[in-house]
Amino acid sequence: MRGDRPREFDRPRFLPVLMGGFLIWTFAPIAIVVLFSFNSGQSLQNFDGFSTQWYSDFFGDEELRQSLYTSLEIATVTMIVATLLGSLLAYGLVRARNRLSPVTNVVMLIPLVVPEIVAGVTALLLFTQLGFRLSVTTIIIAHITFSISYVTVIVRGRLVALNREVEEAAMDLGATRLQTLRLVVVPGVWPAILAAGLLTFALSFDDFVLSFFTTGESPQPLPVRIYSSIRFGVTPTINAIGTLMLFVSLTTIALALALPRLLGRRGHTVLIGRDAL
Amino acid sequence: MSEAIRFESVSKRFGDTEAVRGLDLTIERGEFFSLLGPSGCGKTTTLRMVAGFEQPTEGRIFLEGQPVAEVPPYERNVNTVFQSYALFENLDVFENIAFGLKRRKVPRDEIRRRVTETLELVQLPARSDAKPRELSGGQKQRVALARALVNRPGVLLLDEPLGALDLKLRRQMQIELKQIQREVGITFVYVTHDQEEALSMSDRIAVMDAGEVKQRGLPEDIYERPQGEFVAGFIGISNLLRGVVEDGGTVRVGEALRIACPLPEGCAPGQEVNLSVRPEKIAVEEIEDGMVSLEGTIVSRVYLGVSTQITVSLGDGATLVALEQATYRARADERWEPGMQITLGWHPEHCLVLR
Repeated sequence: MRGDRPREFDRPRFLPVLMGGFLIWTFAPIAIVVLFSFNSGQSLQNFDGFSTQWYSDFFGDEELRQSLYTSLEIATVTMIVATLLGSLLAYGLVRARNRLSPVTNVVMLIPLVVPEIVAGVTALLLFTQLGFRLSVTTIIIAHITFSISYVTVIVRGRLVALNREVEEAAMDLGATRLQTLRLVVVPGVWPAILAAGLLTFALSFDDFVLSFFTTGESPQPLPVRIYSSIRFGVTPTINAIGTLMLFVSLTTIALALALPRLLGRRGHTVLIGRDAL
Repeated sequence: MSEAIRFESVSKRFGDTEAVRGLDLTIERGEFFSLLGPSGCGKTTTLRMVAGFEQPTEGRIFLEGQPVAEVPPYERNVNTVFQSYALFENLDVFENIAFGLKRRKVPRDEIRRRVTETLELVQLPARSDAKPRELSGGQKQRVALARALVNRPGVLLLDEPLGALDLKLRRQMQIELKQIQREVGITFVYVTHDQEEALSMSDRIAVMDAGEVKQRGLPEDIYERPQGEFVAGFIGISNLLRGVVEDGGTVRVGEALRIACPLPEGCAPGQEVNLSVRPEKIAVEEIEDGMVSLEGTIVSRVYLGVSTQITVSLGDGATLVALEQATYRARADERWEPGMQITLGWHPEHCLVLR
């Protein structure tokens, strides 16, 4: 034996190569988009020098900027409403002793497995049947609908680990149900709630399919807007938009992972980032 | 004395299982009352109904004379010490203990005074700003106790509070709990499956099995005069011999073994009964006048230090376990060995006839 080193047959040499290949395949296109968003020339093949002109172009374009704001608005509203409803649903599913809860448990998972295109078409049909005018509101409703499941799954995971006796202890000591929720349950699961909220924000901000089917004429969310603009030819502005969106999404996900840990270290709670995402 | 809790034909069903059946029980104010029984006997459910976490399916519960069916847990004048301690992890020790007082809007300096007082009562004054996860099991236990006691409830409910502690700490906490109860004078309702714990701390005990109270009374009554097979078998080690009542005040065990014992009234010849003798009441070889004596063969011997446990076969499939104090044989060369013939005896009043 040579100390603790695993023997050669325990770690095939092709694995690092495979992993490297996977990383390049996944991230090279993204890296190229980011790189070319700073290209000073029009070309999508040759890098002519550094410039931020495509970002200026983007922010100079009234319609594109409006789309960015719309996307942020949709994501924010979706995050708040879906996190609230999803967390309450999770609490109900974990704590309620009810004949309907097994059914709800399954029904809740349906949005996670239904193909998004089906969900999109269904939403479109529903809205037109009901005579809704397609707008930012219809997009938000569609986004909230599918986001609730994500929130519920994440928050429920943390709630299950919460000792039921702690809630009973709070009530035993004179806290009403609402006070118990505020003083004991929320502090116990809030990292999960936070993670769920940020994930919902990222999912909503990125979403194309559902938004495409439920959007009105104007304003349109950014992904839909990009899709319609590339039908008339690809300009390097797309690279700048892509980079910006990537930045927003990555920041959100990073926050979802890091915040519970950073705040947890201050002694407020146990971290959940890992099992939530 | 006035009553603290009264159960009036209380039953609790969960689906098809009946956790508590027709419970009638009165617990007096200032009493240390234990509910003793194996897991699943309904003792915890009984406690949870008093706390308000469960509602009786039938019957009524009165707290200090008032029916409590409509009263939610947070308005009942009871507090609970939970088996898992159930401390608030995000709050420190002081805030944990102050939780109940804050809910009742007690002024700040009074909270400070009472929390400090209670921390001293449970002998934990130095840890008031520690978080629960920094505490040992015994310390958590004390915080859980202080958190409930500080509210001076009419009744304190304790659900196997010492279950998670090691044996030595358990013994110590048993003594302390009893002392604290005497000091504060609050009614304690104590749920446990540990008969020694119940016997050593309680003023009165109710032994429960399968949702019913099998016997209630003083610790001595429960131990010395168990009513029925279950209580005799559950409390302490008990020798149970199945036999048939015969004429002339004897019970026949198996074919030929006849044991004289005081028969309770209404015991007719031919009736099947169980005889119960506590192992420590059985004399080994040192037979005194007036004792019932029996011959037997030693099957096994277990040296326990304070005593030696001997299992003796009486023939006819009947065996008895006797505990011989170490006062006698204290050296290895004085041991009883399996196969030896031996005489056992006991005073007739120590042999109980259970129907």
